[in-house]
Amino acid sequence: MNTRIKNIVVCVSMAVILFSLTALCIFMPKDDFLDAERRPPASFPEVSLESIMKDGVEYNDSFMSKFEKYAIDAFPFRDEFRTLKAIFSNYIMLQKENNGIYFADGYASKLDYPLKDEMVDHAASRFDYIYKTYLEGKTDNIYLSIIPDKNYFLAEQNGYPSADYEKMIADLREKTDFADYIDIFPLLTIDDYYKTDTHWKQENIEDVANALLSGMGSEITGEHTVNTLDNPFHGVYYGQSALPLPPDTIKYLTNEAIDSFKVTIAHPTTSKPIESTVYNMDKAYGKDPYEMYLSGATPYVVIENPNATTDKELILFRDSFGSSIAPLLAESYAKITVIDIRYVPSNYLGNMASVFGYDFENADVLFLYSTLVLNSSKILN
Amino acid sequence: MLFSSITYLFYFLAAFLILYFAVPFKLKNAVLLLFSLLFYAWGGVKYALLMVTAILIGYVFGILIEKFREKKGISLALTWTAAGAILAFMLYFKYTNFFIENINSIFGSNISFLKITLPVGISFYTFQTISYVIDIYRGVPAQKNIVNLAAYISMFPQLIAGPIVRYVDVAAELKHREHTIDNAAMGIRRFMIGLGKKILIADRLSELCDLLKTTDEKSVLLYWVYGISVALYIYFDFSGYSDMAIGLGKILGFKFLENFNYPYISKSATEFWRRWHMSLGSWFRDYVYIPLGGNRVSKWRHIFNIFVVWFLTGFWHGAAWNFIVWGLFFGVLLIIEKFWLYKYLNGSKIIGHIYTLLAAVLSFVVFNATDFAEAFTYIGGMFGAGDIPLATGEILYHIRSYAVIFIMAFIGATPIVRNTVVKLSSSEKLGKIVNIAEPIFLIAIFLIVAAYLVDGSFSPFLYFRF
Repeated sequence: MNTRIKNIVVCVSMAVILFSLTALCIFMPKDDFLDAERRPPASFPEVSLESIMKDGVEYNDSFMSKFEKYAIDAFPFRDEFRTLKAIFSNYIMLQKENNGIYFADGYASKLDYPLKDEMVDHAASRFDYIYKTYLEGKTDNIYLSIIPDKNYFLAEQNGYPSADYEKMIADLREKTDFADYIDIFPLLTIDDYYKTDTHWKQENIEDVANALLSGMGSEITGEHTVNTLDNPFHGVYYGQSALPLPPDTIKYLTNEAIDSFKVTIAHPTTSKPIESTVYNMDKAYGKDPYEMYLSGATPYVVIENPNATTDKELILFRDSFGSSIAPLLAESYAKITVIDIRYVPSNYLGNMASVFGYDFENADVLFLYSTLVLNSSKILN
Repeated sequence: MLFSSITYLFYFLAAFLILYFAVPFKLKNAVLLLFSLLFYAWGGVKYALLMVTAILIGYVFGILIEKFREKKGISLALTWTAAGAILAFMLYFKYTNFFIENINSIFGSNISFLKITLPVGISFYTFQTISYVIDIYRGVPAQKNIVNLAAYISMFPQLIAGPIVRYVDVAAELKHREHTIDNAAMGIRRFMIGLGKKILIADRLSELCDLLKTTDEKSVLLYWVYGISVALYIYFDFSGYSDMAIGLGKILGFKFLENFNYPYISKSATEFWRRWHMSLGSWFRDYVYIPLGGNRVSKWRHIFNIFVVWFLTGFWHGAAWNFIVWGLFFGVLLIIEKFWLYKYLNGSKIIGHIYTLLAAVLSFVVFNATDFAEAFTYIGGMFGAGDIPLATGEILYHIRSYAVIFIMAFIGATPIVRNTVVKLSSSEKLGKIVNIAEPIFLIAIFLIVAAYLVDGSFSPFLYFRF
């Protein structure tokens, strides 16, 4: 190829790429939802004189600024381009992470370091508020347990920076001395977590459930049937990593007791109690199958166990890890109320007690949180 | 609007190129002007009006200065008036709050800051317009066609990050320029290399700098990695933009002068500044240093002239004392070199390189600092101050993670790749391979850059982390 032909090839090829992508930007149908990022794309901004004239501190609210966001979200083959970037970053640039996601021992995980003391303090202050407002003088059966995230098993061992877990536990225990600590770290290994997702596998945490129940002085749970969901599970890190990872498989546990549970959750918009199920099969085939456990993100779940041999009640303060373990804990109680203070302010808990029928008096209370949430605890209200 | 954005590449630039090449030559400058104003208005419509005002001042005063050229007093007064008016815009928008802050701290006053946003590129088009009126005063014919002059002053390819293009360098091309496949291919290559430098190296190193700034695990090694990253990031960011501007200019038939010439291979600060932001250096030389008398004055006046130029060079970069100190730091180095050190540096290449790189790294730490306290902390940290360890696991991790990017940056900061390609191209056989590889390489850069830009907006909904 001589220089003249090369120059023609350069001009033509670059023009074809530029103008083809431009045409696709304009004419290609846009996605309603960005599955990988689990959010809707930015929409085409409203065109008005006011929005065009905004500048300075108001610029972020201007047509131009919003159009930039729209243009990126509406880019054709967005996921494929993100995959190209991930491959280039991971395998050519040899960067150890892409958007904070790294791979080790066959697992995808997201870096979460360093330990943020102020976050642990905030979590402790929320727990302390709940104790002083609702629990003090009503029950002494208060427990705390911390769920290690995948980084605990992967990061340091594979040369990635890692949070100081020992300090996190020590600090939180010291600041929540009203609660007895139940240590579940020794019961977990990396095998107990999904490869493409943040969470643990329900079928692997029966021993954890038993340890918690035992620590709270309750009977351990019985045998379970392991059911396999026939829908591949692409966990949250699958989309975030943008790499073609093999999917995980979701399994869920049932037995006679679990099948008999009566479940009530908060309505997504009105927050009024509505009937639900332990395993929400609509969600199982939705965008995030992990949401099948107790219907995913919701401020309140009440599980009533009609065949319970006890009248004990459990109040479980939890994050999303709690969704999959709560049914196993519920077998040993007459009723458990699962509360997620990411979605309900702690100062509403008293008002909502009559709505969802829970009572702190003599109840067992367990604060069960993952290290991920504790290290980003501003989301706890 | 940034060059390195989806909006610019796939909406603005595509639309501009279609229209620019579709219209006859006599309309090309009008299209260039129209899109330049649109480009500028994208960052704030009222700032485009500011630019139009600067253009009108340049146009009217240019004609008046030429008309009264024979009457030196009048033309000089007109030149000062025009330059002063244009400079006043920049002083107001860029430096008002800096002056208020300093007046408040000196006199204990409580003057409120003004709500001013710095218009993008004001430093560049201000200097271009000033150089235009001064050049007219010095005898260059004024541009009578307002569209041509406006197209020159507002020209979007070099509007936001230079190079500072002199009117005399493009005057002929504004009237007539050739659009050829060869020029377009060269321009595309230069644009893509600049885009790659910006996205694949500069932005990555900027990301690393942010990480290093926020970490609690500070160490001596971390501060050095930070300093080196800042120096490389600023170079690749700035020279990447210049490459894109020069490349785009080439596609449009303009020949902009080079702005960077591998400054990190310099053996002295003097040489460094002959290779770094050359268009700014030559601007200050021609419009400040030489009019002050340059070096054809007494020794002390010469030193004074150097300090004035370097004070202004620093102050031009930003309205903060760290920029002024950064500029004066180089002023001091240049004076030391001129009167004493230069002959020794010329005697030892290795010492010259080490000295220049060290000076550059330290200077850019000051340049990039948010205040003096930060600059002192970082420079102190580089030399072990603050009871910090030599290294931590975290910084070793970052070095491993960014190793390839550092290698690319180290090699890219030297002419090794350019010289190798030139050498290979001169061989008949290998030249053919280079010709085949070049389009593939450019396409790859384009697609990878697009991928980085698309992924740049990656923002998963927070809940799904947990």
